[in-house]
Amino acid sequence: MTAAALSVRDLGMQFEGLSALADVSMEVPAGEIHGLIGPNGAGKTTFFNCLTGFYRPTAGELWLDAQRVDGLPTHVLSALGVSRTFQNIRLFANMTAIENVLVGSHIHIGVGGTDVLTARRPSKYAALERVLSLRGAPRAALQGVVELAGAVGRPPAVRRAEAEAVNTARRLLGAVGLAGKENVLARNLPYGDQRRLEVARALATRPGLLLLDEPTAGMNPQESAAMVGLIRRIRDEFETTVVLIEHQMRVVMGVCERITVLDYGRKIAEGTPAEVQRDTRVIEAYLGTRAVKEAGDGSP
Amino acid sequence: MNPIRQLGDTTVGRLPAAARWPLFLALVAMLPFLLSGVWIQMLFFVGLFIVLGLGLNVVVGFAGLLDLGYVAFFAAGAYSLGIMTSPGSPFDLNMNFWLVLPLGVLIAASFGVLLGLPVLPLRGDYLAIVTLGFGEIIRLFLVNREDVTAGSQGLSAIARPGIGSFRIETFTHWFYFILVAAVIVGFIASRLRDSRIGRAWEAIREDEDVAAAMGVNKVKYKLMAFAIGASVGGLGGVLYASFIGFINPAAFSLQVSIDVIAVVIIGGMGSTPGVILGSLVLVGFPRILQFKATADFLSKFEWLRDGLNGIIAAADTVVPGSIGRLPAASEWGRELSDDTRFIIFGALLVAIMVLRPEGLVPSRRRQLEFESDDQPVPAGGAA
Repeated sequence: MTAAALSVRDLGMQFEGLSALADVSMEVPAGEIHGLIGPNGAGKTTFFNCLTGFYRPTAGELWLDAQRVDGLPTHVLSALGVSRTFQNIRLFANMTAIENVLVGSHIHIGVGGTDVLTARRPSKYAALERVLSLRGAPRAALQGVVELAGAVGRPPAVRRAEAEAVNTARRLLGAVGLAGKENVLARNLPYGDQRRLEVARALATRPGLLLLDEPTAGMNPQESAAMVGLIRRIRDEFETTVVLIEHQMRVVMGVCERITVLDYGRKIAEGTPAEVQRDTRVIEAYLGTRAVKEAGDGSP
Repeated sequence: MNPIRQLGDTTVGRLPAAARWPLFLALVAMLPFLLSGVWIQMLFFVGLFIVLGLGLNVVVGFAGLLDLGYVAFFAAGAYSLGIMTSPGSPFDLNMNFWLVLPLGVLIAASFGVLLGLPVLPLRGDYLAIVTLGFGEIIRLFLVNREDVTAGSQGLSAIARPGIGSFRIETFTHWFYFILVAAVIVGFIASRLRDSRIGRAWEAIREDEDVAAAMGVNKVKYKLMAFAIGASVGGLGGVLYASFIGFINPAAFSLQVSIDVIAVVIIGGMGSTPGVILGSLVLVGFPRILQFKATADFLSKFEWLRDGLNGIIAAADTVVPGSIGRLPAASEWGRELSDDTRFIIFGALLVAIMVLRPEGLVPSRRRQLEFESDDQPVPAGGAA
């Protein structure tokens, strides 16, 4: 998939009186590596959850290229090219590495109809829409039967698609440095490998927008450096826009072209790493007001 | 064949994997030449529960959806055949068996979707409770809607299948019929497991939110699992009703659901050999105990009974009180398989779950899951 441009307009996420995100707007041009930083509880992961349909945003709009995508179900967003990794690794623990990646390529193994066709924006008339979508139920049932027949009968087209997917999965595992570990259960992989496997699985969905949630968390400096290299390669080789949440400033400053800073669910700064580093509001958010004063005193 | 399935070291037997199943089936197919009628009848029920177990395995083992109302689909299949073919049915349809077979499967499948829709957002315990209720609803429907189901009177003289002038009637015929059904269901289940559908089910079982984030439409695949499981249950119901020839609501109690789920769990979830062994142990063994041959064999132990009764009598004189005496040795098998059966069943279940929590013949995957984490699987495996 080609890299997609992300546009976020006045995004808000409210949980029963707790405002996790408010008026967040940002533009990420196609092919950029964009950093998302902020202190703990700033709303970074909530932002990712809104983008991937885990939460339905309570305000604002999300646009992927020219398509409005907020409120779409998770699997449809995935089909539209939004893929992600998780802060606390969420692999399919009892499946092998290659099977994890194959789940990622699920919709690209062509069997019967695709799920993308059923993508429909939810509206305020949800009840009416549910009634209308019944019209699609026979079609969905037919698609299901076709898919089942394909899986049981295994005609050449299905075999070919499956073999291709296995090849792609091997290639992806190789690309993230997991060659030779295809048949190891995900949960038996060392920690760093698990993080890399999550990236491979996300890449298997052929994302236009890849969301990485703390890809270097818990890694030592060498592993982090390798991950930074991997992120750059992903952007170049897989043609995808990358948004990453990161706490290690060395990583953020090293790999991101532009950075957005969140604090208490609001955007407080945006710009190149150098600009963000100088921003007094950012320093304040991270280190407190005294630090800003001292920094101000120290500089001419 | 499939490179992804080569998990770890897979040299289970010395036979090549491709030859194992045909050989096993050939041996099973020879059984009617070796065994007498009651044994074949027993094997029919074992086969029936293998079919049911394989179907439930798709729902519970593959997709991880705990379904305690499986009897509902079994009943749907059985009553489809009963209502459409029995002369005593409230609707005088008298249809042909072969016509009703696909219809019954289809009806059961739609029941599966019907159950699936409301329980889509439920997980684990909640799902189990709702499915349990669903099974009871169906049973109560069978009892109370006499205008549709003939109520507790039941339906009799249910159609038997025939091909031309040949009618499937004897135990041996039925044995081969159920064998063919089990092979077909087993084949379909294994093909599904090794497809993208099977992977989607597994992903949903592992973490359904992440599965959705990877593009898996969880509504579609959960409904698919319910529908497949239900159609197999329906198939089992049709075969059962035709074999027995008479059905009434008492045959479709919660006990059936529990028996099937026990077959799946005891055998080892997700494993076909496990389902076969589980069915032999849980369905076959209690029936063997009831055989006359077993009674004849046990009657040789009359001396043991006399001895034990002597001890009991001695104990009775020391501590007065009425302790019963053991029944005739020839009755032991029947006694065991009737009332005591559930005690032994329960003890067996507990013992197996303690000693082999992964089941008697776990699937390769389960085996790996139950291995402790500090014993990493040899990387690369057989690839």
